Amino acid sequence: MARMGILVSPELCIGCRACQVACKSWNQLPGDKTTNRGGFENPPDLTPHLYNKIHYLEVPAAADVQRWLFVSQRCMHCDDAGCMKICPAPGALYKTKEGAVGINKDKCIGCKLCVAGCPFNVPRYDEKDKISKCHLCNDRIANGLQPACTKTCPTGALKYGDRDSLISGAQKAGYAKVYGQTDLGGLGSLYAFKDAPNVYGMDEKPVIPETVVFWHKVLKPLSYLGLSGVVAASLIHYVAIGPHKEKEEEEKKNG
Amino acid sequence: MDKIIKKAGAFEIINHWVMAISCILLAVQGYGFLFHIEGIGSAFGGFNSMRALHNYLGIAFSVSLFFSIFLYLKEALTYDADDIGWIMVLGGYLSHKVSVPPMGKINTGQKFFYLAVLIFGIGISASGYVIWLLPGNKQYILLSHIVHNISFVTLMIAIPVHIYLGTLANPGTLRIMLSGTVPYQWAKKKHPKWVAEVEGGHKA
Repeated sequence: MARMGILVSPELCIGCRACQVACKSWNQLPGDKTTNRGGFENPPDLTPHLYNKIHYLEVPAAADVQRWLFVSQRCMHCDDAGCMKICPAPGALYKTKEGAVGINKDKCIGCKLCVAGCPFNVPRYDEKDKISKCHLCNDRIANGLQPACTKTCPTGALKYGDRDSLISGAQKAGYAKVYGQTDLGGLGSLYAFKDAPNVYGMDEKPVIPETVVFWHKVLKPLSYLGLSGVVAASLIHYVAIGPHKEKEEEEKKNG
Repeated sequence: MDKIIKKAGAFEIINHWVMAISCILLAVQGYGFLFHIEGIGSAFGGFNSMRALHNYLGIAFSVSLFFSIFLYLKEALTYDADDIGWIMVLGGYLSHKVSVPPMGKINTGQKFFYLAVLIFGIGISASGYVIWLLPGNKQYILLSHIVHNISFVTLMIAIPVHIYLGTLANPGTLRIMLSGTVPYQWAKKKHPKWVAEVEGGHKA
């Protein structure tokens, strides 16, 4: 099956946050208690019960007094996913056939390593110490529906579809480089940015932490190569040189 | 009957067994986590309970590591010319013809091995506790994750050599872990300085 994705166009977003509500509604997520922080953005960050949120940014602009940017934050569904790499529990995080990073709470062991492995600071942990994050509404997709957030979006700022067509569509619309096109093997959440990613509060070059890459590429193979190497060396030693036989050695010396 | 001499007391024997068993179980679980081996997970009642067991066995391992400091550290930090001689002949492990300099209670290789177990044992224990108990800080977790795995790789190379040398390569050594005693002649040949020390002590 072709890889599916979501194209986020902050320039089209009006900050209504219907996507946040739709997500909570479909996924039956309770509301988080919030406080008035003097702005529209709430809660301030993703929570175990908030899989997507609109990040409100005010940036200085030449033409207007200021420019409002509304950026949808969510799991990026990386092709080369840091969370999946570091996760020690098989099946807790898995690739859906649409190329999204799905979660299975029953198989999650609550170690929280995925939080450290994620380049986008997305995974959260619920009250039962189980991973909680956007799973691209895989229960909807499996039934031929689109994710709750894109279904609800009134302006087309969130668009669900075939990943390749979303990219070519964005390019035709004048976005030369789509954020997430090639990063981390290609992201499932794509962003049509007019300016540099950091204007929108995103990393220019998101990467999996290098210690995790080193561990994956070097230490993991070393852990079994080293062990089998010394076991083999011991066997060779036993055959070629042999164990110490105290009595025989004494006899030889006394000869 | 051949004369025997006591090399390890009850506490040392029990401590070593606690460390050995916890270490082997922890290592097997470690491979299960590293390579998502379902069979190992099932053997410990699934990955969820394996994680809990991994943490508790980690306590057993680190406690026995703590006690080992009082048993071996002083000896492992004491070196003289014979230790250099030991290194020159590689402990006599690669040839039975060379003569090995006289050794104390533990030989030079055992001293190095103990220091490696202590350093990487502390590394793997401390980082394990951080991952278990302080999951909030991303930088700490990443550092602990890499320390845990570097220690794991190192110990998985060092410990099989230790097991081989203590069993197949040197028949008769394993009894130290069982009865704590060794034949007097064996001790005199392998650890002459220690035997002299013990006997000197008795005389005084």
